[in-house]
Amino acid sequence: MQLRDYILRRLMVLPVLIIGVSIVVFTLTRIGGSPVGIYLSHEMTPDEVAEIEARFNLDKPVWVQYIYWIRGIAMGDFGWSGVAAAPVADVFPLKLAATMELAFASGLVALFLGIALGTYAGARRNRLPDHLTRIVAVSGASLPQFWFGILLLIIFWAHIGIAPIGRSDAAIFASIAHPTGLYTIDAILAGSPTALWDAIWHLVLPSITLGYGATAIVARMMRSALVEELQQDYVDAARAKGLAERIVLKRHARRNALVPTVTVIGLTFGFLLQGTITVEIIYRWPGLGRWMADSVLRGDQATLMTYVLFTSVLFLVVNLIVDLVYANLDRRVTLGK
Amino acid sequence: MLDAQHGAAPVASVRDLKVYFQTKRGIVHAVDGVSFDIRDGETLGLVGETGCGKSVTGRSFLRLLPVPPGIQAGGSVMFNGHAVCAACAGVGCGACGSTGRQAGRDSSVDLLGISSEDMRRIRGDRIAMIFQDPGKALNPTLPIGAQIAEVFFQHRTEELIALAGLPADTAGAIRRFASQSPRFGDGWLLALPGARAQRRQVEAALAKMVASALAETQVPNPVKLMARYPHELSGGMRQRVMIAQALACNPDLLIADEPTTALDVTVEARILELIRDLQQRRKTSVLYISHDLSLVRRISDRVAVMYAGRIVEIGATAEIFANPRHPYTRGLMAAAPSADTPRGKLAAIRGTVPELVDPPSACRFLGRCPHEAGACRSNDPALQVVAPGHSVACFIDHPAPSGERPTYDRVTA
Repeated sequence: MQLRDYILRRLMVLPVLIIGVSIVVFTLTRIGGSPVGIYLSHEMTPDEVAEIEARFNLDKPVWVQYIYWIRGIAMGDFGWSGVAAAPVADVFPLKLAATMELAFASGLVALFLGIALGTYAGARRNRLPDHLTRIVAVSGASLPQFWFGILLLIIFWAHIGIAPIGRSDAAIFASIAHPTGLYTIDAILAGSPTALWDAIWHLVLPSITLGYGATAIVARMMRSALVEELQQDYVDAARAKGLAERIVLKRHARRNALVPTVTVIGLTFGFLLQGTITVEIIYRWPGLGRWMADSVLRGDQATLMTYVLFTSVLFLVVNLIVDLVYANLDRRVTLGK
Repeated sequence: MLDAQHGAAPVASVRDLKVYFQTKRGIVHAVDGVSFDIRDGETLGLVGETGCGKSVTGRSFLRLLPVPPGIQAGGSVMFNGHAVCAACAGVGCGACGSTGRQAGRDSSVDLLGISSEDMRRIRGDRIAMIFQDPGKALNPTLPIGAQIAEVFFQHRTEELIALAGLPADTAGAIRRFASQSPRFGDGWLLALPGARAQRRQVEAALAKMVASALAETQVPNPVKLMARYPHELSGGMRQRVMIAQALACNPDLLIADEPTTALDVTVEARILELIRDLQQRRKTSVLYISHDLSLVRRISDRVAVMYAGRIVEIGATAEIFANPRHPYTRGLMAAAPSADTPRGKLAAIRGTVPELVDPPSACRFLGRCPHEAGACRSNDPALQVVAPGHSVACFIDHPAPSGERPTYDRVTA
């Protein structure tokens, strides 16, 4: 099968790409300075510093250090996080779950709301719904997240006082088990409506802040793609067949308009991931983004390298998925050679 | 009116059709008072150069014009649909007297006046259309079979249910499936064991109908073709698919908008042959829109020549080509090269098509006509009969209200 071959080929290239990314990550991080900084204090003597460097093999040549790092990763050891005061490998899954829950919530909203808004506006080009959507989209794409997030926080947390902050209520958190680390899923598994409501309620403001921009981008892309498709001959041909306008729009025009939009949705994923840093800081969300911000400020290199390596792999996988969806939507796209 | 003396009831009568377009420069009179009949079973060729309004006229039958900027400024398009003979599906049998139509079941409607829901029922069923470029008129993301199937879903739900062996009072999700009007949740309903079997039956019946529609256009291996995508086919094959789709429901009238312009010459000949063959077997009337005079001559029973939003000459093909009266028609014929034309000598009509923003009350061909005279500058000639079944809009053949009349002898430089 052509499709299976293609996926296999792409997956086989993956390790090569990861090695490449790891070299770049390692080099760039090392240019930023020695990782020993986070363990030092002002009272240490040069001898003590040298001793610490020797303990972590930092006195060896850089390429040897790289091999130590890669060998560690291969054995599941991503290093010690000075910020979390624990091994990176232990903390990472917990933080990842928090970020993923946030990113998925906003990503799904952006996907469906963006496509729906774009279709709605595109089908009513230059009429009132189109103009309203344009206002929403332009503001969404241009409002800085840190500003928009703080604005929502001031209104709904500080003034009205209905929005919570953080990721969950401590008492409710303690009441159920957390096998997946995604609190909404955990609540459903535990069968606890209170916990589910708590998890969703905590998600609302952060995902609106994070998802607004992505929704705007997807909606705009969808709208312009649909406007273009609606001028194609096949749309008139579909009408000439006697199809209802609803079918012409959904089955014919929208399907074609999704082709370029899918590419943008793939790119939006990066946008979301980058946005988590701001949003997590604003809402005290205990995810990867906040951890990374702290790690950058305090020079926690093991955490940083893991994060960058992980997001690169994630990007590669998302790109693969986008290509597959793309080929499925438009059969003129040929996969591979 | 114009063609009344010819007896046979017209399948469509266009009367004083006016379609304007709102543009930045003003209101363009794209079609400005066009009247003609399409007789039952005939092929009417509509010729004219680019921008003369022939496509807009054709699309008006299906109301496929963008509104805005299009303005349906006036006139009517009466459509006299005939029910297709139930016994032979239009081929012609004893029951219908070889007409292929059920007598006494005519319905007459003004296509420009009916509701959009009524219009939708006529589109693809009673009146179908073939487009210029089959590569653009087929949806690139759907397989051929699925695209033709939509016509049956839309107009042949009852037949589909009957052919699937289901009772005529089948309702619910299955009926919605057979009419392509799914509701939210139907996907799950149709996945239930009982419904799934019925859906399979409908799908099988549908595949049968689509395959036989494709087989009509003489494509090799229609069943295999159904799963293919438009980009996998050649231009000629795509146009055959379009024709299969258009003729799937045995329409009374087929609008063919330059269906061979995008094809190469050898394929063109075969497609024309196919259209003519299908038309003769099913007694379908055809409005054949083209800019190619020689092509129209080959396939049309009658020809209408359009210029600047008007019909300037209309008549039987043989008559028009033997005895063209309008200077524009004559110019077109002189411009068409033949085997006798010496190398490097191509006749052309001088000037360009006038802008149709606020046209003056004068002959539209003024400024390009070699015979123009005083009468042409102050009067707008109307279409008038010059011979049985032959009408011309030019003062050369009928009296002008005022001013000097043009003659063929007098050539203005």
